[in-house]
Amino acid sequence: MRVAERMKHDAGTPARAAGAPSAAPAVVRPRKRRGVNREGLEAGRRSTRTLLWVLLAAAMVLYGFPFLYLLFTSFKTPIDTIAVPPTILPREWTLENYTNALGRSGVLASFINSVQTAIISTVLSLALAVPAAYGITRYKTLSGRIFIMAALVTRMVPPVAIGIPLASMMGTLGLSDTPIALSIAHTTISLPLSIWLMSSFFEAVPQDLEEAATVDGCSRLGALWRVVIPVVSGGIAVTAIFAFLASWNEFLFALLMTAIRSQTTPVVIANFQTQFGLDWGSMTALAAVYSIPVILLTLLLQRKIVAGMTLGAVKG
Amino acid sequence: MSTRTFISRIAVGGICTAVALAASACGAGGPANTSGSAGTNTVNVLVEAGGHAELTGVAEQCKAETGVTANFVELPYDGMFNRLSSEFSSGNVSFDVAALDSVWLPSFKDAVQPIDELFTDEAKKDIFPALVKEANVDGHFIGMPAWTNAEIILYRKDLFEDAKNKADFQAKYGYALAAPTTWKQYQDISEFFTKDGMFGTDVKGAVETEWLAHVLQAGSPMVLDGDKVVIDNAAHKEALDFYVGLAKDAPSGAAQVDWAAAQNLFNQGKTAMTRFWAHAYRQIPKDAAVAGKVGAAPMIAGSAGVGGVPGPWYLTVPKATKNAEAAKKFVKCAYDYNSTGIESSLGLAARISAFEKYQDQPGYESFKPLIETLNGKATATRPATEKWQQIVDTVLIPMLQNAVAGGDSATLLADAKKQIEDLLK
Repeated sequence: MRVAERMKHDAGTPARAAGAPSAAPAVVRPRKRRGVNREGLEAGRRSTRTLLWVLLAAAMVLYGFPFLYLLFTSFKTPIDTIAVPPTILPREWTLENYTNALGRSGVLASFINSVQTAIISTVLSLALAVPAAYGITRYKTLSGRIFIMAALVTRMVPPVAIGIPLASMMGTLGLSDTPIALSIAHTTISLPLSIWLMSSFFEAVPQDLEEAATVDGCSRLGALWRVVIPVVSGGIAVTAIFAFLASWNEFLFALLMTAIRSQTTPVVIANFQTQFGLDWGSMTALAAVYSIPVILLTLLLQRKIVAGMTLGAVKG
Repeated sequence: MSTRTFISRIAVGGICTAVALAASACGAGGPANTSGSAGTNTVNVLVEAGGHAELTGVAEQCKAETGVTANFVELPYDGMFNRLSSEFSSGNVSFDVAALDSVWLPSFKDAVQPIDELFTDEAKKDIFPALVKEANVDGHFIGMPAWTNAEIILYRKDLFEDAKNKADFQAKYGYALAAPTTWKQYQDISEFFTKDGMFGTDVKGAVETEWLAHVLQAGSPMVLDGDKVVIDNAAHKEALDFYVGLAKDAPSGAAQVDWAAAQNLFNQGKTAMTRFWAHAYRQIPKDAAVAGKVGAAPMIAGSAGVGGVPGPWYLTVPKATKNAEAAKKFVKCAYDYNSTGIESSLGLAARISAFEKYQDQPGYESFKPLIETLNGKATATRPATEKWQQIVDTVLIPMLQNAVAGGDSATLLADAKKQIEDLLK
C-alpha cells in the first residue's frame, strides 16, 4: 500500500489503530503521532506537491520556450520573423521556410554527413570508453587514477585551441574533409566524459557477479561481455546518447575541418546568417528538422536513459 | 518485431553504413576532389554563404566557356576568417579560389598570389577607383572585386510625396521636402518625421562604417593617415557629434542597434529614413509594410562631397593551390561575367558597366545612388592594416556605444587614439 493511501486508511480507522474494542462507543479523536496532525501532514504534502508542480512547470517553460519559439518562427512569413515587437505565434502560418530550407543545395548531404559522423564518433567513443572505464574501475591502480584525472583535464582545454592543429594533422594524414576525420575530432570531445560516465556505471556493479561468472567458467572478458555489459546496458545507452549529441550538435570542428564532402548540418544552419542578412525563417525551419532525430532517439531510448541515470544511485 | 529488435536492427544498419562510407573516406556532399589536384579543370571556391549566389551564374558561364567547373565551399561569415587563418597558416588549403572580405586582404596578403595580368587598363577603368586602389597591396594586385556594396540613403517615398507632409515641412523648415543631400537636411527630416510612434531615422551604435562615412564626408581619412592615428581630429569629432545628435530622432537603445536591427525597423515602417547597404533595397520582403514605398538616394555629402565606405569582396588565388591556372581562369570569368551576379538574390556586382546596364530597369532604382556613392569624391576604403578588425571590435564600436550613451566625444576620441596607438605598436 502506498504511504499516502496507508495514511489515509489509518486516519479512517482511529479506534482500531488505537487498539480499542471495535464495539466500544467512543469519542473518535484523531491520533496524533509525534505531535503532527495527519490532516496537516496531508495538507502539507499537497502544498508541497503543488509547489513542486509549479516549479516543474516553470522549469518546463524555461527549457521549452526557446525551442517552441524556434518552432513557431519556422512557420512565420519573412516579415513576421522580424516583427518589432516580436510575436510568439505566427500571424499567418506557412510552410515556405521548410521548402526554402530543405530545397537548398547541400542540405540532404549535410544530414547524411551528420548522421554518419555522429554514429562513427559514438561507436569510437564507446569502443574506447567501455574497456578503459572497466580497466580503471576493476584494477584500481595508481596509473588508472592518474589516467582518469588526465582524461578529465582534457575536457578543460578549449576546443578552439586544438581545432586548428587537428585540422592540420588530418590534412597531413590525407583525411581532409572526410567524415572519419571529423568523427575522430568529435571523439576527443566525448571520450573523456564517456570514460567518467562508464566508470561510475561499472562501479555500481558488484564484483561478486563477475566472480560468480568466473566460477561458472567464464574468462574475465567473457564475464565482462556476458554479465557486466548487460547489467550496465542502460549506462551504455546514456553514454551513447551523450556521445551522439556531442557530435550531432558540434559546430567549431565542423567549421574548421569540413568543406564540400563532409560538411554537417550545424554549419549549413549557420550559413543562413550572412553578412547581408539573416534568414530567420529558413534557419529555424532547418534547425527544427535537425532536432527531430535527436528527439526520436531520446524517446526511443528513454527507458534505458532513466535506468542508466538511476544505476549506481543506491550503491554503497 | 519487438521495439528492441527494431532498434537493434536500425543501429546495426546505421553503423554498417557509416563504417562502409567511412572506409571509403567519402562524405555525402560531393566529389572527392580537393585542392592540389594540379592541372584539373575543377576548382574549389571558398565563399561566404551570402555570396554564393553571386557566383553561381559566373560558374555556369565559366564551365560553358572554359570548361572550368566550380565546387563551392560555403561558410558562415563569422567562421570564415578562422578557417582561412587555419588553412593559410598550415600551408595546406582545401580551396583554389577564396572570396575575401576587403578587411581581410591585409591579413592574408602574403598567402595569396598576384593576379596582375587580370588587371588590364580596360579592367581598371571599369572598376570603381577605390576598389582598384584597395586591390593593390605592396605593388601587386592580389584580389579581383567580385561584388561591392556601399551605404546609401533609403527613405519612405510615400511619406516624402505626401501632400500634407510636403506642405508642413515647407512651412516649418523653409525648403521643399526631398531626399536629403546634406547633413542639415538629414537632421531636419529626421526631426520632422519623429512623431506618432514613428522615428525619422536610426542610429546604429553597434557598427562603425556609417560613422566612418561621415568622417570621410567631413574631409578626413578614416582613423589612420598613413601610420598616424588621426581619430581625434576635428573631422572625426564633427562626424561623431552629428552621428550622436541623431539619437533624439531615433529609436531608443542605439548602443545595441546593428545592421539587422536597423533593417528590421525600416522594413517594419518604424523609421522614415535609414543609411544602409544598397543591397537591402532589393531585399525588402514583399509582405513588408514598406514594400513598394521606398526610394533610394546617394549617401550624404559633407564638406568634402559624397562619401561612403565600400564593402567589396575580392576573389583571390592562394599561393598554396596547385591548381592556379584553373583558379585564375575562374577569376577571369568572374570579371567577364560580373553582371550575372546582379540577377542573384543579393543583386550586386563590382564592375561599373554591370551596374550601369541595370540602373534604368525597374527594381534596380538603388543602383544610380550606389554608383554615385562609390564614385563619390570622398569615398575611400578602410585603412590597409591587418589590425583593422581588431581596432573596430575593441576600440571603435565600444567608443560609439559610449558616445550614443551620452559620453563626451572629445574624451572618447582621445581615449580611442591612445588605444589604437597601443594596438599598432
